[in-house]
Amino acid sequence: MIVVKNLEKHYKIAKRDPGLRGAIKSLFHRKFETKKAVKKINMHINAGEMVGYIGANGAGKSTTIKMLTGILTPTSGEVKVNGIIPYENRQQNASHIGAVFGQRTQLFWDIPVRESYELLKHIYEIPQAQYEETLKEFVDVLHLEPLLGIPVRQLSLGQKMRCELAAAFLHRPKVVYLDEPTIGLDVAVKVRIRAFIKQMNARYGTTVLLTTHDMQDIEEICQRIIIIDDGSVIYDGSIQDIKSQFGDKRVIHFELEDAADSFVLPEEIRALTEVLPTSDEDPHLVSLSFSNKHISGAEVIHTMMNHYSVADLTIADAKIETIVEEIYGRGMKKEVQHEEIR
Amino acid sequence: MLSRYIKLYYLFCKQNLKVMLEYRMDFLLGVLSVMLQQFAGIFFVKIVFDHIHALNGWTFYEILFIYGIAATGRSIHHIFFDNLWTLGWQYIRPGKFDRLLIRPINPLFHFIADRLQQDGFGQLFIGIIVIGTAMPHLSISWGVLEFFILVVMIIASGFIFVAINLFFATLSFWMVDSLPIVWTIFNLSDFARYPLTIYHKGIRHFLTWIVPYGFTAFYPAAYFIEGSGFERLALLTPVVAIVSCIFAYWFWNRGLKAFTSTGS
Repeated sequence: MIVVKNLEKHYKIAKRDPGLRGAIKSLFHRKFETKKAVKKINMHINAGEMVGYIGANGAGKSTTIKMLTGILTPTSGEVKVNGIIPYENRQQNASHIGAVFGQRTQLFWDIPVRESYELLKHIYEIPQAQYEETLKEFVDVLHLEPLLGIPVRQLSLGQKMRCELAAAFLHRPKVVYLDEPTIGLDVAVKVRIRAFIKQMNARYGTTVLLTTHDMQDIEEICQRIIIIDDGSVIYDGSIQDIKSQFGDKRVIHFELEDAADSFVLPEEIRALTEVLPTSDEDPHLVSLSFSNKHISGAEVIHTMMNHYSVADLTIADAKIETIVEEIYGRGMKKEVQHEEIR
Repeated sequence: MLSRYIKLYYLFCKQNLKVMLEYRMDFLLGVLSVMLQQFAGIFFVKIVFDHIHALNGWTFYEILFIYGIAATGRSIHHIFFDNLWTLGWQYIRPGKFDRLLIRPINPLFHFIADRLQQDGFGQLFIGIIVIGTAMPHLSISWGVLEFFILVVMIIASGFIFVAINLFFATLSFWMVDSLPIVWTIFNLSDFARYPLTIYHKGIRHFLTWIVPYGFTAFYPAAYFIEGSGFERLALLTPVVAIVSCIFAYWFWNRGLKAFTSTGS
């Protein structure tokens, strides 16, 4: 459904010196520097897959999605969505896709929701019978009935997002791009939105590419995640894999009675655990990382208690959040090392 | 294809009208203020003509007629194509333009159809009244053909306004917001409300062949004014309108291409 090969996007950014003087200087003489927002990305997403596309802010997520929707033309590489090259046949591509872009509305600001949908019906040339059937279904699942008569500008964020989502799926698109659809929403609305996305996928086989910072979204909706960092894909695989790959990792934070500078790992567990660097803010904190395949948490705690007086402890479990954090962290560490080599 | 767009335009219009009626006070105030603004301009001409009999050989009613064509032509642009002003600060800067690019219809059409400007109706009323007032005082007998040509001229005038604004609004694709440039150029159209013969040759050529505002009022009006000396040139008005629109649309497409390769 979505095929991406060696996709690259470079931006030219005007570089200027700081301050007013720099601004004036840049009026006459501009230096440009090329920023590689997306670097040689490859991905292959099958019809009906629901994929989480995640990465830190500025990692290149939005740029990729803009290229997939045809809003941006790539610098090099190849994109095919449903056999169409989006940036070459943008309008043709547009009739098969739906999109929700964060807090930017796709609806018509001043007119009631129902009339917005009516206009979309004509824009996407949805047959009347299909339109009525779809709308009825959406109204039920997303509880839109009381909202239909209200102009979009008067809706709350959660209400608007529900309407927005319905608009994106209204023409039964083959692919839907959801760029942070749950940002800023309360839990109840999030749950409803996730249920809706899953239902659309089950019923119409809609392919979904979802970017979000909410790992709960990912865990509930997606079977597969693609992680992007600094313009490159650093992980592409199933959530199961990532969990079994990193799922045995445990971290225990110990709050010691004494200052942690004099801390030395007890001999019994020295071979199997690792002291993680902690921030300087808390001089009593020691964090130990280990794999629970090799040593049990209970054993680590027991040994620690025998050697040190422990005031408090917390165990971080292997949630996808922790894992992704660790992967981002590694990506950043790599960068730091590069700097040092240079 | 065309019928689909006509239908879509009708549906967009219907929605826009509903919104307009929702803000009734806005509608009335907008129309009134534009009418007042136009009226002030005419009043000024009237005062000038209380002191002189002719302006470089042009009588009061001839000037009024030029003025009327300018106002009516401009109202077409004002009512239907007013969104052109907002390309930079309402669409490109806040990222709203992306929305138009993921719809299966022509983005320029969508952009234009997004708005109907009620204030333009004030301009239209005044324009028609002014033309109606001036017409009987011109030494031409008004038959069906003359009326037909007048309507064609006014529509052509409107589309020249549209083409010029489209051209300069398109610059927004490269510079985020070209509104100041659009404004500056648009203000040149005030020159075209007076006989171009009163200006220096350079200005005249500029307003005829570079930024063809001359064809939005003076030349079309001159067609109906005996002995103006511009009857032949005036017939070019529809041609100028078509050429300008094609050129502006070509430029828009270039801008769009640049936009999709930089995305800013």
